[in-house]
Amino acid sequence: MPLTREAIVEGLRGIVGPDDVVTDERILVESSVDNFRKLQNIFDVHTMPVPAAVVMARSTERVAALLRWADEHGVNLIPRTGATATEGGLESVVADSVIIDGSAMNEIVKIDAYNMQATCQCGVPLQVLEDRVRELGLTTGHSPQSKPVAHMGGLVATRSIGQFSTLYGGIEDMVVGLEAVFPGGQVTRIKNVPRRAAGPDIRHIVIGNEGALCFITEVTVKLFPYFPENNTFLGWTLKDMATGFAVLRDVMVNGYKPSVARVYDPGDAGLHFSHFAAEDDCVLLFMAEGPAGIAKATADGIQAIVDKHPECTQVPSEYIETWFNDLCWDASKIIAEDERIRQTRNVNRTTEISADWGSINDIYQAAKARIIAEIPDITMMGGHSSHSYINGTNMYFNYFFNVVGVGPEEETSKYYLPIISIICEETLKRGGSIVHHHGMGKARAPWVKDEYGSSYYVLETLKHAFDPNGIMNKGTIIPL
Amino acid sequence: MRFAAVLDGTSTGSTDGTATVVHRQSAALGAFLRGGLDARAPGETLVFYDDEREKDRLIELAPTRDVRLVRTSARAFERMAAHLSTQAEGGQADLFLFAPGPAGTELATRLACRSGGGVLTDVVTAEAAPDRLSCRRYVCSGHLMGRFELSARPWCIGIDAGWTDAGEPEAIEHVVLSDTDDTVAGRPGPFEDPEVLEAPSTGDLAPSRFLVVAGSGAGSRAGVERIAAAAREMGATFGVTRPVAMNAWASMDRLIGVSGARTAPSLCIVAGASGAPAFYWGIEKAGVIVAVDLDEHAPIARDADLVLLDDAVAVVEELAAIVAAEREAR
Amino acid sequence: MSAMRILAYFGVTPDYEALRESEWSTAGRGPSSGGGEGDGRDEGAGPADLPDTRYVRRILDCFDESALELALRLLDALVGLGGTAGLGAVSVGAADAEPHLKTLLALGFERAARVHTEAVLDFAPAATAALIAAYTQRIDRSDLLMLGARSGPGGDGTVPFRVADHLGWPCITQATEVEPLADGRLRVTLMTDDGLQRLTARTPCVLAIGNAVVSHLRVPTLTDRLAVRGRQPDILEPADLGVDLSELLGRETQTLTALESVDRRRESILVPGDTPRAKAQALFDSRLKSLLEEL
Repeated sequence: MPLTREAIVEGLRGIVGPDDVVTDERILVESSVDNFRKLQNIFDVHTMPVPAAVVMARSTERVAALLRWADEHGVNLIPRTGATATEGGLESVVADSVIIDGSAMNEIVKIDAYNMQATCQCGVPLQVLEDRVRELGLTTGHSPQSKPVAHMGGLVATRSIGQFSTLYGGIEDMVVGLEAVFPGGQVTRIKNVPRRAAGPDIRHIVIGNEGALCFITEVTVKLFPYFPENNTFLGWTLKDMATGFAVLRDVMVNGYKPSVARVYDPGDAGLHFSHFAAEDDCVLLFMAEGPAGIAKATADGIQAIVDKHPECTQVPSEYIETWFNDLCWDASKIIAEDERIRQTRNVNRTTEISADWGSINDIYQAAKARIIAEIPDITMMGGHSSHSYINGTNMYFNYFFNVVGVGPEEETSKYYLPIISIICEETLKRGGSIVHHHGMGKARAPWVKDEYGSSYYVLETLKHAFDPNGIMNKGTIIPL
Repeated sequence: MRFAAVLDGTSTGSTDGTATVVHRQSAALGAFLRGGLDARAPGETLVFYDDEREKDRLIELAPTRDVRLVRTSARAFERMAAHLSTQAEGGQADLFLFAPGPAGTELATRLACRSGGGVLTDVVTAEAAPDRLSCRRYVCSGHLMGRFELSARPWCIGIDAGWTDAGEPEAIEHVVLSDTDDTVAGRPGPFEDPEVLEAPSTGDLAPSRFLVVAGSGAGSRAGVERIAAAAREMGATFGVTRPVAMNAWASMDRLIGVSGARTAPSLCIVAGASGAPAFYWGIEKAGVIVAVDLDEHAPIARDADLVLLDDAVAVVEELAAIVAAEREAR
Repeated sequence: MSAMRILAYFGVTPDYEALRESEWSTAGRGPSSGGGEGDGRDEGAGPADLPDTRYVRRILDCFDESALELALRLLDALVGLGGTAGLGAVSVGAADAEPHLKTLLALGFERAARVHTEAVLDFAPAATAALIAAYTQRIDRSDLLMLGARSGPGGDGTVPFRVADHLGWPCITQATEVEPLADGRLRVTLMTDDGLQRLTARTPCVLAIGNAVVSHLRVPTLTDRLAVRGRQPDILEPADLGVDLSELLGRETQTLTALESVDRRRESILVPGDTPRAKAQALFDSRLKSLLEEL
């Protein structure tokens, strides 16, 4: 017998006290979606089941007690910290879910500049941690666009990646150790060591679990020295993406690690660079960073590589530097965008995938062509590559469409999911991954078996082992 | 050098509206004449009016002893400018001063165009020399202060909205030098069927002495409304920054900044706004500025007297509760 | 009901908010600002003393953007009344405006043009207005000009009135909405010193748009853009409008003589406290109580 909403609220109050159980109707309704269905909050049209409560977790012990209780009573839990998820990971898809919110666990536990590690609770905003370590001349190296608003727990739970990943890596390269709580209430601490080979690396069960296996309560990440004075910017315009990808590959294969390496197609370039790029120009840009010698060698090396491509026209680096300094989200930009959507019904969405060098351009061209041909009301269809590796790169599709003839709640079915579907198909066909860094969420969960192939066995077994009663974020990663 | 301060006393359409508007224009001009114009020069006030019954009240409001009255039609700015141009040609004044607001700006500009003189708007200070007028005004959305010179007369100056004067105007014995009828029989003004939609609601912002401003850090319309309620409880006037107004979290007439109201409260609490120059210009004359924001690097943190690094809505509500408790205790 | 010819002017400016603090405080180091000999009159400050905005993206003036969208809505409303209108758009300056002109063609504007000049017009509103007026009257022959209340580089608020005066037209400013009436007149909502009002205006006239609730331009689809792919905005020179720009600039009645950075810094005392309540109490006890008593 599932618990009633009242019984759920009672049960939660019994564990954390009434002040930490939020039942305000407005908050619950807004908490039923994340940025995947953001139009629901923007237009105040709600279709998802309303959670029974948001419960504030203030300590690991409380988290353990909550998970144990939920497991016993079959209550669906949705772990949340910064609430910046974009793929439906925070959506409630079954009745009477409970959002377990760790944003109040916001203590920076320790900054260890000698061992180059920082430990913080799951609710620490990345910007706060970054500002604190900058005071010591250090950086986390992690800079997703959501940095001002995202929290450490969610950043680890989604395998997030930042703007400087080509040098510092993604979150998986930065996490040293962590603490997570599992449905039976087991508190597990994975210690901080530089490397271990004592069996499989179990951190990777937690990193990227998207709240489907456990609740992350604490993380320790690496620290790096910060040399902003050596930041060097380089930019070029060129006419085709194939060349852009080829240049990126050359840079990576030759061992250079610029912190930023991107190529924008004309549609996406038009949003950022119309003050120096023509309508049909792609834009290729790099940032080299680090100690003076390394930054210079990186910049020189990249310059030499691109110089071999006469079809690339260099632009003054000031253009790239100025653009770069204005990149992150902030509160007023976010609300201005919400109002723009309300007035124009023009929505901007993104979908990011990864593939090897041989496939990436084909995926980009094929998906783009199909979307333009098959989806109505598209106002922009483009994208950029922003995270490269020795063996391939990502493609961050960026697209806009007008929502025409349907209510905002049907945006997902008329436009967004059909576009995601095309991108996933074209990617899977060529052996790429359908999710580069936003997380599977609930949006791309329908493709989980195609994504995993035979290795789905491993994922499925993990889920059954750690969450036998299915209380952790139903619908995320593995669809209902 | 002679100056003429110009008041547009034509009917605004709402009861009492005209007098309030003219009172504000006059207070602004009076304050500028006393504090912003570096020139001891003789001058007069030129008052446009359309309703005979308002004449005496308008004369009372003139900021100079000498007053000239000109009867005209409401919003007939082209005619008013033509009249002023004739005055300029006749050597009645070298410097024409106009109050802040759309009417003053339109008249100043049209007069300059017709007479070949120079016009500057939002002028903060002016210094007259025999052959030129030097003025200061903000440029680049409030990021910089520019110094300008006007050489060609007449000098047509729209004064900055910061020149307000909350005090009572000093009593002056006015002398009416002339009362001209510049209406043209049978020729109506250029616009028809005026309809007043809403009682003036920005009027409370400029003269306010205690102001609470909500910015996008309020997080939502509900957050803005909570700050507004807390402001009301404390007896403060309520304003918002542009992102809040443009997002329809509050009505446009609460807007403060370059595209809205300019205020000079004794006490101003800025809750959840980063303090960009285009907004800050609207409160920079405040006596004491208290900033409440989560971001210690926001410009407002450096440009305020007191800084509280915390959630805007929570702090303002706590303040209102404390103020209310204090009131009850007394 | 005869077709109304509506012209909308818009400008693009550098995104000043994308510049860093340090760039504003080093501005104003021009030849005449402080420390130099002479009275500075012969070496006026000018565009060279402004912070370098070459590398910063351009944005549409926000009031002009309202004017463009309101022009489209006016067209929709006219069509709804069984009438019609031809929309035109014009900008003054270098090529920055072209992407927007192409967008406007895709949105159904019949006419799109820019008056080319490399001159910096930030402190030359008379010249800007002369060009707009000349285009409106001699080339476009429009009945209605819509633009933002702070139009023109520099945004001093005088350009709409200057243009109106050149054209001999009345001007309604701080307009927030406009609706067509069946007889060809316009019903305009505007913000005045005395609150929100409505007036009926006859064309020709100038409508200067203020803080309109409508603040974003609609977005054309790729199909819309494809349909106008062959069309390019017209590019005209001032001479094509019968305007001698350098002569006009020479006759500008205002001269910028110096730029000063603005120092708004105050004491910035941090009020202590662990919670919102604690901070509020600390503020009340230390300063607020006495400030409120003085009010």
